[in-house]
Amino acid sequence: MSEPDRQVPLLEMRGVTKSFGGAQALRGVDFDLRRGEIHALLGENGAGKSTLMNILSGVIASDGGEMRLEGQAVRFADPRAAQAAGVATIFQELDLVPSLDVTANLFLGRELTRSGILDRAAMRNAARARLAALGVDFDVDQLVGDLSVGRRQIVAIAKALDYASRILVMDEPTAALTAVEVDRLFALMREIAGRGVGVVFISHRLEEVPRVADRVTVFRDGRVAGAASPRAPQSELVSLLVGRSLSELFPKRGGAFGASVLRLEHAAFRPRNPRPGWQAPVDVTLAVRAGEIVGLAGIMGAGRTELLTTLYGAAGQGRWSGTVEINGRPAMLASIRGARGSGLGFVTDDRRGSGLMLRDTVGHNLVGAVLRKVSPMFIMSQAREARLAGQAIRLFDVRPPRPELIVGALSGGNQQKVALAKEVLAEPRLLLLDEPTRGVDVGAKGEIYARIRDLAGKGLGVLIASSEMPELLGLCDRIVVLRGGRSVAEFPSGAAEHDVLAVAEANEGEAA
Amino acid sequence: MTEAVGATPAPAPTRPRLDPLAVAVRFQSVIGLIVVAMGGVIFSPRRHGLILFLAPDNIANIIRAVSETGIIAVGMTFVIITAGIDLSVGALLSLSSVLTATIMTTAGWGLFATIGFVVACGAAFGAMQGAISTRFRLEPFIVTLAGLQVARGLALVISNNQYINISYGDGPGLAPPVFAILGDRLFNNVVPVATLVFVVVAVVAVCVLNLTRFGRYVYAVGGNERAARLSGVPVTTVKIAVYSITGLVSAIAGVVHAGQFNFGSANDGTGYELTAIASVVIGGTSLFGGSGSLIGTVAGAVMLGALANILQLNNINAALQLLATGAIIVLAAVLQSLVRRREGLGR
Repeated sequence: MSEPDRQVPLLEMRGVTKSFGGAQALRGVDFDLRRGEIHALLGENGAGKSTLMNILSGVIASDGGEMRLEGQAVRFADPRAAQAAGVATIFQELDLVPSLDVTANLFLGRELTRSGILDRAAMRNAARARLAALGVDFDVDQLVGDLSVGRRQIVAIAKALDYASRILVMDEPTAALTAVEVDRLFALMREIAGRGVGVVFISHRLEEVPRVADRVTVFRDGRVAGAASPRAPQSELVSLLVGRSLSELFPKRGGAFGASVLRLEHAAFRPRNPRPGWQAPVDVTLAVRAGEIVGLAGIMGAGRTELLTTLYGAAGQGRWSGTVEINGRPAMLASIRGARGSGLGFVTDDRRGSGLMLRDTVGHNLVGAVLRKVSPMFIMSQAREARLAGQAIRLFDVRPPRPELIVGALSGGNQQKVALAKEVLAEPRLLLLDEPTRGVDVGAKGEIYARIRDLAGKGLGVLIASSEMPELLGLCDRIVVLRGGRSVAEFPSGAAEHDVLAVAEANEGEAA
Repeated sequence: MTEAVGATPAPAPTRPRLDPLAVAVRFQSVIGLIVVAMGGVIFSPRRHGLILFLAPDNIANIIRAVSETGIIAVGMTFVIITAGIDLSVGALLSLSSVLTATIMTTAGWGLFATIGFVVACGAAFGAMQGAISTRFRLEPFIVTLAGLQVARGLALVISNNQYINISYGDGPGLAPPVFAILGDRLFNNVVPVATLVFVVVAVVAVCVLNLTRFGRYVYAVGGNERAARLSGVPVTTVKIAVYSITGLVSAIAGVVHAGQFNFGSANDGTGYELTAIASVVIGGTSLFGGSGSLIGTVAGAVMLGALANILQLNNINAALQLLATGAIIVLAAVLQSLVRRREGLGR
C-alpha cells in the first residue's frame, strides 16, 4: 500500500492502562496509526482491543498512559471531544435510532435549521448526496429499523464519515454482513483510507485480514502480543492470539461413558408464537451419555442456542414431537422448573444479560440456583450458604476467592467461572452450556475446559454449543452439526476443522 | 495448579479495596438522619434552655407523623428491589380507612374481623395489580397508576365523598373503644401506638427480606430477572407477592389512619406514594432494582420527618420543605450513580 511516510504518526498511544473494578483490562498498551493505512486489531474477547478503542473515541477515560494525535497530546473527555478532533467510531451496536428515518439519523445532533425550524428538504438532499458519495442509493425516508443490517452499517459509516477527518474506528463491522456486503464495505474502507484517513479495523475473522489490512496488531490479555504482516500465515496469527499452540489448551479426554442422559430422536419443537430469526429445532437426533461431552456446531442461525433453551424449557410455550428422553425416560420439557427437576442445568451465552446478578455478590450469585438447599424451612442458613459458596469457589478456582465481592467487578473469566459453578452446585446430570468461554481470557479458558472435563469424568453429561470450532474439536468427545434446526452430521473427536465447517456451512438447499 | 493447563501465569489477583464511597452510600440515609438530627439540635428553638427539637413531645410527633408513610415505604422497598413501582399505595390507604370506618360503624364485625378483612382486601388488591402486570406484561407504573384511580374511585363510592366518622362505644353503629388506642401514646405518653405498628411492620419485613428464601428471590428478580428465571426462581409468583405486600402494608396504614384520626376519608393519603418512594430512594435502594435495604428506608422515612419538623419548628415556609426534600432525593440518587460508575457497571 502506498503510505505517505511522514515523520509524525497520525496517532500514538503509549503505556495506556485501564481497569474496571478489580479487573485489569489494559496493562500498558502501545499503539500507533499512520495516515491512510488500514490497521487491523486482532484479539480474543476481553483482550482489550475494544477498551483501547473506547479510550481513543472518548467513551471511557484511561487510568494512565498518553495519547498523541499528530504529535499533540490529547485526552478526550467524551465522544463529542473525540469527534471534534476528527476521530469517529462505528461501534458494534450501531449507535443509530431505529425509530427515526435515515435522514434524521444522519443529522442527529447537528440538524439543519432555517430560522429555528428544521429544514427537512435540505437535510434530505444532503443525506442523499452523502449516501451517493458512498456509492449507494436507497430511500432516505425509511426508518433505520426497517433497513437490513448491511444498510444500517452504511448509514452508520455515512454518519461517522461526517466526523472522521483523521481517524475512523470500526469495531467488528463485518460481524453481521453477507459476503457481498463485506466486499462493498472493504472497497469503501480502501477509499476512505485513500483520502488519508487512518482506519482501525477490529475483527474476529482472521481470513479478512489479508484482504483489507496494511498492518496487524494482536492483543492478548490486555497487552499487545505482537505485530504481524497481514500476509503472515494464519497459524502464526493464531499462536499470537492464543499465546500457545491450541493443543495445550485442552485436557485429556476420558474413556468410558455411562447410560444415556439425553436422547433425541427426530425431535422437533413447534413454538406457539414463532419469532422471525428464531430457529426452532426441526429434526434433531443426538444422544449424550453420562461422562460424555458433546458439541453442537453450526453457523449463526443454525439453531444451537434455540435447541439448548427449548430443552431447558426456557423457550416459551410450544409442542415437542419425536422422542425426547432424559435419563432413559420420556420427557417433554415445558418449564424451566420442570427441566431442573429432571436434572438439567443451563449456562447462558450472555452472562451479563441473563446469567448473573452483576451488582450482587459472588456468594449470592453462586447459591442463586440452589436456594432450597440453603434455606431449610424457608429460612436462609448463613452457614450452609458460606459452605456451598466456598465449595464452588474452590472447585472453579474463582479469583479472588472472596464470596463477598461484587461479581461485576471480577474479570470476564472469573465471572464465567461463577456462572458455571452456580449451575454445578445444583448437581445436574446433564449440563447445557451455550458459548461457555465467550469473553474469557485464554488462561481462564484452559481452566474452564479442565473443570468441564473433570465434571464429565464424574458422570456428568455435557452438551456444548459453541461458535469456536477449535473449542469444540479440542474439548468434545463428539460433535453434532446443526443446520437450519436439523442435526445433519456427527463427527468423532479427531475430526478436521475443515470437514466440520464444510457441513455446517453447506447450502441450505442441499440439506432439504 | 495441577491441571493440564497450568502454563500461563494467572494474572495476579487484584484485591478490590472496600470503597469508602460505597460504604457511605450503603448507609447514606442513616448518615443523613444523623446529620439532620444534629442540624435539628443546632437550629432548634430553645425555651428555658430546653432544646425543643429533643423534647419528648416533639420526638413523639416526628415518629408519629412518619408512621403511615413509613409503613408504606417498608412495603415499597420490596417492590422497588424487584425494579418495580407501586403508585396505588396512597389511594389504597384512603380506601382502607374508608372500609375500616364503614365496617366498624355499620357492620359491627368486631375489631379483629374488621382489620383482618381490610388487610386481606389490601393484599388482594395488590396481588391483582401484580397479576395483571405479569400476565399481560404491562409496566407496573401503568398498572398501579390505574390501580390508584380505581382505589380512589372505590373509596369515593363507598364513602359517598363524606368523612365517615368513627364513634366509640358498645352498641350498633359504634366502634370498639379499644380501636381508639391507635391514636394514643404508650409508655409515659411518649411512644405513639402508630409508631409501634410501624416498628412491628419494619421488623417483620427485615426478617422476611434478609432471612428467608423469599427475600433472596426478591433481590434476584430485581438483580437480573432473566438470570433468576433461568435459575428456577418463580419470578411471576415473586412479583405478585411483592405487590400484595405493598397492598397489605397500605391497608395496615389505612387502618392506622382511621384509628388515629377517628374517621375514614376518600381524600386522604394523597401524595403518600411519592413520600414513600422518596424514603426508599433516600434509603439507598436503587430504582434499577437488585439492591437496597430496609434499614435505609426506615432511616430515610424518619429523616424526611425530622427535616420537616425542624423547618416547622423554625416557622420556615412549607414550600422550602419541598425544595429541601427534592435536593436530598437528587443527592441520594447522585451518590448511588457515582458508586455504580465506579464499579464500572452503570452509566
